[in-house]
This record gives sequence, C-alpha cells and structure tokens, in this order.
Amino acid sequence: MRVMSTRLFSDDGFRILETADIPSDLVLINGLPDVGLVGLLAASHIVRALRLEEVGAIASVMLPPMIVLHGGVPKLPVRIFANSSIAVLLSETALPGSFLRTLADGVVDWSKKKKIQLMLSLGGMAVANRQDIDVPKVFAALSEKGLEKRLQGAAEVMEEGYIVGAYGLLLRKCAEESIPAMALLTQSYYDYPDPQAAASSLNAVNKILNLKIDVEELLRKGEEIRLRSKDMMHRTHEEMQRMNKPHEFDLPPLYG
Amino acid sequence: MHASGWNVAAACIEPLYNMFMTADEVVVTIDLPFVTAKKIRLRHLSSDAIEVYAETSRMISFKDLGIKHRHGEFTCYHARIKVPAPIKRKMTSKLKRGVLEVHIERLG
Repeated sequence: MRVMSTRLFSDDGFRILETADIPSDLVLINGLPDVGLVGLLAASHIVRALRLEEVGAIASVMLPPMIVLHGGVPKLPVRIFANSSIAVLLSETALPGSFLRTLADGVVDWSKKKKIQLMLSLGGMAVANRQDIDVPKVFAALSEKGLEKRLQGAAEVMEEGYIVGAYGLLLRKCAEESIPAMALLTQSYYDYPDPQAAASSLNAVNKILNLKIDVEELLRKGEEIRLRSKDMMHRTHEEMQRMNKPHEFDLPPLYG
Repeated sequence: MHASGWNVAAACIEPLYNMFMTADEVVVTIDLPFVTAKKIRLRHLSSDAIEVYAETSRMISFKDLGIKHRHGEFTCYHARIKVPAPIKRKMTSKLKRGVLEVHIERLG
C-alpha cells in the first residue's frame, strides 16, 4: 500500500489523515451510522454512484481498535471520499457516544480550514407507522436562518425537537463557526436498515445539490442491503440506546 | 435487544426484532428480507415467549455477501422472543415491506 502523502490535521486523540489532495470549497456529506442506517446507506451509494476517490480517514484512540478489509486492503472504518466538488464522510463502525463531541469538533475544525461551503448530514427520523409510508418524507434541521432557500423544496424545515447524536453536535458546532449546515432526516424505521428511506434522502440531496444520482439500485437491491447491514444495524442500535436516542421522541418543554 | 446471529449449523439467521407495549397488547416487529408471508410460522411458546420461523425465498450464502473467509449457507430465519408482559395464545400478523408485525393480546 502506497501512501501518497499523509498530512495530519491533528489534535490530541483525533487525527484526520489526508492521503490525497483534497480541494477547498467542497460540499461535505456525512453518512454516519444512525437511525435506520439511512445516512450510511445513502452516503455509500453516493460514493459508488459518483465513483469518489478515497482521500482520507479519521484515526482516534476513542474509536474501537479495528480495521475493515475491502478488496483485501486494510482500511480505517471512518473514511473520507471526494471528487472536485463533493466530499463524503462515512463510518463502517458504530460510533461510541463518548466519541461524538470529539468527532464533531474535529470535523468542523477541519471543515473550516478546508473552507467547506455546505455540510449535509444524512440520517433517519424514526416513525412508528413506517410500514404505512410509501414515500418517506425528508425533514431538515438548519444551522442558520436563510438556509431554507438552499433546500429547493426538497425537505420541510424542522422548527422544534431534539436531535441526539453526532448530527445534532455537528449542526450546533457549524452554527458557532458560521459554516452552513443541514441535517436531512428522513422518515424511517428506528432499528431496521431502510434503503427506501436512503433513496428518499438521496432524492433530496439531488435537488439541493443539482445532482442526478440514480437511486434505482438502492431500491432494487433493498433486501440484500437490509440483510448485509443487519449486524451494523444491531451495533448501531446498541450505541443509540446508550446515548438515549429515544429522547428524540420527546417534545421540548419550552418554546424558543 | 439481542445478538445478531448467523447460525451456520442450523442454516438459520436470527433476525432483527423489536417490540413495544400498549395497554392491551404486545406488538413485536421482525425484519425479514427475502421472505414471503406464506413461509412464516409463528408459535406461542409460553405466557412470555413466542417463536418465529421463516424460510427465505432463496438460499443466502456468505459468499453471495462478498465474504470469503467464513462459510455458511442460510435458508431460514429463527428467533425465540421473550416479551415483557404475559400474553394470550392468539396472535395476528401482517408482513409489509418485508417487516412482520405481530399483535398479541396481553393477559389480564
């Protein structure tokens, strides 16, 4: 394995390894393991559909001590892929709740230095009646007022509610650093992999970024994806329970 | 929640499942990709447990899923599920979008 160049964007316990040139001014799409694995399924489909190059990875002592093999090559489980306009951050391991603040701070600091122009975090929104929903709807939590225009009607803005986990922290940190950010949350199963919800999420991404990513494969291979993702969903569910993810079902007690 | 299992000896997969309770019933949902409704068997095991068995529509192997270092071929799902409240024998179920929803009346 040849490492072309390794620039460490580092802080104690957290490093972003860049193994290729990563241009500035990109849109960063996050696909982290979460409700219904919606974000991970959508993000990995983007990587395949746009043939993004692997350009980096996140290393941290707070992540489980592991690698994942693909094509016989050992890789860190949290990786970054990119082309000249889009970067995708995804994780092939469930992220411990104890790691998420470090992750959010590290990714946003890196995004600021890379002049990321927009951060999109893709995830699921658990709904009890998912089985009765033919086309899952997409909701958006925004880091700042005025970003609604960039949604292009692809999602309905969430005004009130809780977001537990990495996406909530990323959104808040982006707001502090004035990086435009959206969390796109699609109606989905809570703890079953949901490729159909991932397809809805991608349709929203297509509208927002003016892309034409074909979601047909996600739908056609839905059963295989669900089975292949079963173990990942189980681990993700364990972490979600530990960080009290069901808090998202609660109503915030105050207004504003 | 439970351990996700691939039982090579029995050629069976333990499916993902979850449950919630209402005042009157326990509702169990089970994710069953590659299963049709006709191939599902539900059994009341005791006042606090049910069993689900479902044949897959095709044989699934680790090789199909890109895994070469483990060997296994699977033709069914199987789970014995403990429920948190005493239940009656009668169950109704519906398979939609590959997720089985089982409704069981609570005792007492």
